[in-house]
Amino acid sequence: MPEIIVKFDDKVIERIVTEKKRISIGRTRDNDIVLENRGVSRKHAMIEFNDRAAIVMDNESLNGTFVNNRKITEEVLRDEDVITIGKYQLIYHTEHSQEHDTGADFDGTMILNTKRQKKLLENDRVEKELVSKYGGSVLLGEENAEFTEFRLDREVTTIGKAKFVHIKVKGFWISPIQAKVTNENGHHVLTNLGKKGKTLVNGEPVTMCNLKNGDLITVGRTTFKYVEGCK
Amino acid sequence: MRLAIISDIHGNLEALVSVLRHIEKQKVDKIHCLGDVVGYGGDPVGCLELISEHCDIKLMGNHEHAALGLDDTSDYNPAAKKAAEWTRHQLTDRAQSIVNEFEMSHVLDQILMVHASPYEPEQWPYVLTPEAALDAFVELKQKLCFLGHSHVPQIYCERDEELPRMQAGHDFLPDPDSRYLVNVGSVGQPRDNDPRACYAVFDDKEYEVLYHRVDYDIDTAQEKMEQANLPRMLIARLSFGR
Repeated sequence: MPEIIVKFDDKVIERIVTEKKRISIGRTRDNDIVLENRGVSRKHAMIEFNDRAAIVMDNESLNGTFVNNRKITEEVLRDEDVITIGKYQLIYHTEHSQEHDTGADFDGTMILNTKRQKKLLENDRVEKELVSKYGGSVLLGEENAEFTEFRLDREVTTIGKAKFVHIKVKGFWISPIQAKVTNENGHHVLTNLGKKGKTLVNGEPVTMCNLKNGDLITVGRTTFKYVEGCK
Repeated sequence: MRLAIISDIHGNLEALVSVLRHIEKQKVDKIHCLGDVVGYGGDPVGCLELISEHCDIKLMGNHEHAALGLDDTSDYNPAAKKAAEWTRHQLTDRAQSIVNEFEMSHVLDQILMVHASPYEPEQWPYVLTPEAALDAFVELKQKLCFLGHSHVPQIYCERDEELPRMQAGHDFLPDPDSRYLVNVGSVGQPRDNDPRACYAVFDDKEYEVLYHRVDYDIDTAQEKMEQANLPRMLIARLSFGR
């Protein structure tokens, strides 16, 4: 995936890895890359990605978009090209590098996913059907006598009562993010992140737990069954 | 109104004096301090006197709490614990009375100032991840929150349906429709690989946050710590900003 490193005064302030086909850059928060400063237009520029190339386009911005210090309207990007917008420099990398020269405690890599499909599928199918359909592991939740399935196809799946978590649960002591399920080399690991409320596996409170097929996970008022996918 | 916001001085008088001199040139109306004036460094009392003299709003940090004996230091790391105990012995009655008046948080219209986080502030959580920032946004009622504690200048912006966006601290114009947590960094013990003292200026008319880095006499600060026989690790880290 391509990576864009955002610098301000030669200091890395953010790293963005994207799988989007097109990303917008500008001052307002509806942009994918938000640059909140003078000299940046509301909708300043755009980068489009196709299989072969990335193209940066200036959106008739007031102060212009520069690639390697040359003013452009449209330009094909090469690895390590430097896009200058206002006081910011955006360094384009064709591939996201794992080697980060990050500052202390700063791992600001942000992944821009394509629109997350949040629509949850209604489900009353048998577990085998679920697994064969997805080929991956699933959390099967029972709430209000209605089964809901949650695919564990992300690196991290969050559970809690915040607006945006992947799996929302209710409960008085539940934290905004009460727990997370992480994919670690094909295995799923459940970690409790709750401050007051507990996360239970098969009735026992856990802080961190390797999930096995059929484990029952209780978060707040909801219990999920962990159904392991085909390996 | 133009405000200078400083935090985490940690008994580093050389850094504080350099920052106050730098602030003089910024034409600010007021200076606010977000806590941890003491702890780690060799000059806790001198720093408290200066903060008391120059700052308007003064907040309580966990190191003040510890120095007053209000906080249990058993979960501090050994170096921090030793420094906290040393600091406690240094504090004169006058210094104690200054610290006693520090507030836990302060609201100025649409701005909250707090040492660690709006979320469970008395537990002194570190806001260093988007997840911790989310906890903070859930509790935050204001548009802007200035905080310290982690010693890492950072900006978190609230987003719809997603985790907050995290950026390293840099000059920026907050979007008036968005909410932000702004960590102003540390005057006396920066931890973002830049050893220079760090603070921020907020201008409510321009609606702008500016970060400043200030060189100071690190050698003298370290010598004072050596004379006080403070842990070597705490002395060494000032050279690296880590």
